[in-house]
Amino acid sequence: MAVQLFFNGLVTGLLIALPALALTLIFGVLKFANFAVGSMVTLGAYAAWVANVRLGLPLSASAAIAAVTVAAAGVASDQLVFERLRERGSISLLVASMGVSLIIENVCRFAFGNASRGFDVAPSRPIRWQGIRINQEQITTAAVVLVCLVLVDALLRFSPLGRAMRAVADNASLAAVRGVERRTVARLTWALVGALLGVAGVLSGLDRAIDPLIGWNYQIPIFAAAILGGLGSPLGAIAGALVIGVAEEMSALVIPTNYRQVVSFAVILALLLFRANGLFGAKAARR
Amino acid sequence: MTGGDIQALSVRSLRSGYGRGGDIIRGVDLDQAPETILAVIGPNGSGKSSFVKTLAGLLDVRSGHVMVTGRDVTAETPAKRVAAGLAYVPQEANVFPSLTIGENLKLATEFLRGRAGVGPEQRQRVLELFPEIAARLRTRAGDLSGGQRQMLAFASALLANPEVLLLDEPSAGLSPKIVGQTMEAIVRVREAGVTVLLVEQNVAAALRIADEAVVLVAGQISLRARAAEVGASDLAELFFAKVA
Ligand SMILES: Nc1ncnc2c1ncn2[C@@H]1O[C@H](COP(=O)(O)OP(=O)(O)O)[C@@H](O)[C@H]1O
Ligand SMILES: [Mg+2]
Repeated sequence: MAVQLFFNGLVTGLLIALPALALTLIFGVLKFANFAVGSMVTLGAYAAWVANVRLGLPLSASAAIAAVTVAAAGVASDQLVFERLRERGSISLLVASMGVSLIIENVCRFAFGNASRGFDVAPSRPIRWQGIRINQEQITTAAVVLVCLVLVDALLRFSPLGRAMRAVADNASLAAVRGVERRTVARLTWALVGALLGVAGVLSGLDRAIDPLIGWNYQIPIFAAAILGGLGSPLGAIAGALVIGVAEEMSALVIPTNYRQVVSFAVILALLLFRANGLFGAKAARR
Repeated sequence: MTGGDIQALSVRSLRSGYGRGGDIIRGVDLDQAPETILAVIGPNGSGKSSFVKTLAGLLDVRSGHVMVTGRDVTAETPAKRVAAGLAYVPQEANVFPSLTIGENLKLATEFLRGRAGVGPEQRQRVLELFPEIAARLRTRAGDLSGGQRQMLAFASALLANPEVLLLDEPSAGLSPKIVGQTMEAIVRVREAGVTVLLVEQNVAAALRIADEAVVLVAGQISLRARAAEVGASDLAELFFAKVA
């Protein structure tokens, strides 16, 4: 039982890792907490649902469409909202992202109603391995997330865009006088982050019913994971997501499952009280 | 400064400031001939750093103009100004601490593809000036000593093959020996054809290598003279101005 919960927790953690990474990248590069992560996950789920169910495309193609759709939404929100507030400070940007969150959620509600939807995928039988039950969706989730993480890691470490993102995160005005256009880096960061959130939307649609609040269900765990990892640290966000995922699932051993969200709340509260830089993040505080 | 020559740097009636605060730079006019070193000295808080920040595009111009080799860059972003030949080394936080030396150097050129003279040969020439840096490309810039960090910042700016180089207190916090080396490096850079605007607290060191000096007091230029002619009496005046 405990082993099964631990395993489920790891997969849940991987699912949270993409949006937590998205949150921490925006925080690092643009210096604000993007409240719209959850709603962008929702948008990704619906975009994939339209492609998969309405247009009859396979789920992989639908995921690509979701990634592109949310990337476009991220770039548009930067162009229309966040760029105009860039010099106003992180509180203004946070509040603006709450507005963006409401808009995206309600556009989804208006377009698709409140009914629960699901992807058109053939049901498959779970595998048993070492006494653990592993279903197909979990394997898909783990594989997709791991591929995404490797790609993002390579991009951050080796590509000019990754270097520029890290440089802007370190010192935005120095990056500007080294020839890096902040606006371009901001837009590309939003595109990357949007793609991650879009993919996360598809994976969450595999995990649970698609409704206008699907992404919102992950909002607290996403924030808990990113804060736990030290906001701004990509590796920290991933580690934080795994810890949160496992903690939430394992909490079923001691508290009723409906209360599992309490775990993330408790983590955020404890971190705010005792370790504002997160468990892994002495670094983020230096900025 | 023969008439009709294009100035390397030209500043006209420049005013700038922070946020909604009052003007810090209050009407500066300045011309600098190509391939000269101009020292900008003045008391603490007189606006020297704010002045070079404004030139680099980090502080919004409220009125006036900035021209680099005859081209008006007043409306350009900081990044475009680098591409136009204006490089800048800030007073502090002038390297990316979480990037390696190699990444710092790479970043200094990879977004300047359009600029003439930026490339492997320039990189070779610059790295020869700073062998200490060149030997440690995999070290995180955050782990460098003050002097090495200053060298890296200097090298990063030079990689852009600038016409005009703005240096904000390159000697701050360095040992006398390293200050000497830094000043030598500046002279060599000028000999390679770069125009240098040098903000310095270390007035003696700056005047030794500068062609001319301007004194900035309360955001305005209060004095301009050939470096050799700025003597002790003028320095007294400078500190008198600080009290006033
Ligand atoms: N980031 C800032 N925000 C607001 N005011 C500033 C800022 N930086 C400097 N100032 C103000 O601008 C004035 C000039 O400062 P500065 O340009 O740093 O002078 P200097 O480099 O000559 O010591 C000072 O009064 C200082 O308080
Ligand atoms: Mg200064």
